[in-house]
Amino acid sequence: MIAPKFIPLVLRQLLRHRVRSMLTLGGVITAMFLFVTIQAMQAGVSAATQQNADDTTLVVYRKDRFCPFTSQLPEYYQSKIQGIDGVRAVIPMKIVVNNCRTSLDVVTFRGVPLDAFLAVRQEELHLVDGSFELWRHRSDAALLGETLAARRGLKVGDRFDAAGVTAYVAGILRSEEVQDKNVAYVHLDFLQQATDKNLGIVTQFNVLVDAASDLDRVARAIDDEFAVAEHPTTTRSEKAFVAYAAADMVELVAFTRYLGWGCIAAVLTLVGNAIVLSVQDRVKDHAILQTLGYSPWLIGRLVLCEGIVVGLLGGGMGTLLAAGVIEWGQFSLSTDGLSIPIEATPLLLLTGMGISLALGVLAGVVPAWQATRCEIARCFRAV
Amino acid sequence: MIQCEKVTKEYHKGDNVIRPLDGLDLEIPSGHFLALMGPSGSGKTTLLNLIAGIDSPSSGTLRVDGLDLSGLSRGKLAAWRSQTIGYIFQLYNLVPVLTAYENVELPLLLHSMSRKERHRRVAGALDLVDLADRHSHYPRQLSGGQEQRVAIARAIVADPKVVVADEPTGDLDRDSASAIMALLQQLNRVLKKTLIMVTHDPKTADYADQTLHLDKGKLMDGRAASSGSALDDEVTP
Repeated sequence: MIAPKFIPLVLRQLLRHRVRSMLTLGGVITAMFLFVTIQAMQAGVSAATQQNADDTTLVVYRKDRFCPFTSQLPEYYQSKIQGIDGVRAVIPMKIVVNNCRTSLDVVTFRGVPLDAFLAVRQEELHLVDGSFELWRHRSDAALLGETLAARRGLKVGDRFDAAGVTAYVAGILRSEEVQDKNVAYVHLDFLQQATDKNLGIVTQFNVLVDAASDLDRVARAIDDEFAVAEHPTTTRSEKAFVAYAAADMVELVAFTRYLGWGCIAAVLTLVGNAIVLSVQDRVKDHAILQTLGYSPWLIGRLVLCEGIVVGLLGGGMGTLLAAGVIEWGQFSLSTDGLSIPIEATPLLLLTGMGISLALGVLAGVVPAWQATRCEIARCFRAV
Repeated sequence: MIQCEKVTKEYHKGDNVIRPLDGLDLEIPSGHFLALMGPSGSGKTTLLNLIAGIDSPSSGTLRVDGLDLSGLSRGKLAAWRSQTIGYIFQLYNLVPVLTAYENVELPLLLHSMSRKERHRRVAGALDLVDLADRHSHYPRQLSGGQEQRVAIARAIVADPKVVVADEPTGDLDRDSASAIMALLQQLNRVLKKTLIMVTHDPKTADYADQTLHLDKGKLMDGRAASSGSALDDEVTP
């Protein structure tokens, strides 16, 4: 666009009105920080609710119940579900949360039978610290998702308390599964004893089916099996279950996309306004440069570069700031024990930088065009 | 050689046609030092701007070293100016956010040369105008005479064939004006630059090889200039 030797000239012009430039940068940083944070929430919603072609997990919940405290299913359903054609494994699960409302700091306990759980999940769970053996041999042991451990500052050997349950950290796990990141997996009987002492009752069953194409058929078969039982069920794919159970939160997060677009509009307006003002201030300078032999096209490109520098610098700083805050906070939106992680992925950071660049170009186009239109004699006459 | 043949410049202001230059014929040999005098609105600066390629004649032909400027686009005129013209303004017109060094360097950024070569040329130009020790000063930190000397260094740093100066001493005290004129005379005599200067001051004009008087867009015979003019739309950078 311009030779590197012109870059100091572009930067000098940006520093001409330091306060104005700093205020513009501040606005761009704030707007891009909000935009990236909102995008991170949107990405979290997508990751938690959009079903992949290879998803093979179903969640069996008490029919017409929406909260883990009210969904109570007999544990013996496990054997009946296991007998349905196409079911590979069934994991009964008791869920206890320290906060049933929507919050950024929810601790979700998932009580599971160890052998059944490890038989199905051990391969996809990567322990970053601790051991499965330690988890197996202590009745109060918990495996913590990496996000939860980071947010609470917990490490192996620590004891922590939430929802009236005191657990020992036996391991910290890393998993691609969204719902694994913000949970504490504990022994099923330990959680049943530690909370309502309701042995034999679980919150839900996680059912693995042999083929993704069988999900709907197996879900219908499970619900048909218990349709006239004392505790009828509703069975959905895990992602659909999250989308259904956390519908209010998902809707709210979806609404925030408009705030994101508002942030983009704010950046465009801020940068555009700053560059337009700057160009209007420098009508005479542009006439001088043209007199020295600078072509209108070159002056236009210099102005365009000012927009790009402001956009990239402010947008980049806002994007990195958002990434830093998200990484530091390890935030996760949770409701009813279901988590929607807020993660700044490399793709999101690249998108933020790309949008910043595009906004810089867009904001610079009009003032650049104005700068190219100014004829020397008229410019001098105008000042 | 600069050749003007029946050069006319017209502006339209409402229904009125204003004609700062009216069928002007003029030849300026290379290496010549010409002073243009005349009352306000007589067309001096308009002629200077036409010769510098920052404005175009409405009719007639203007050639510089055989090149007809009227047929060039804005972009080509800009490229031609960067090679051929050095312009000195009455009010210096330095870029305020750049140091003296950076102001002088501006024309050289348009040329394909190494940073080292640019540095050599800028240092040489600042040395010529006796401001080597002020290279890091901003315009606001310089006196009027020093600003004009920086402007002269900027005008000559790219080694143009023609230097045009629009009342270069108009905003300076007598001592500073004398120093600037001595410098311009040196550019003409030592560096053999063609120098065309607009001035209101006969003492300043005395430094030139020749003085021409303009009135109502036409060249006057001899030095007797008529006073006043109805033309008030002349562009004065």
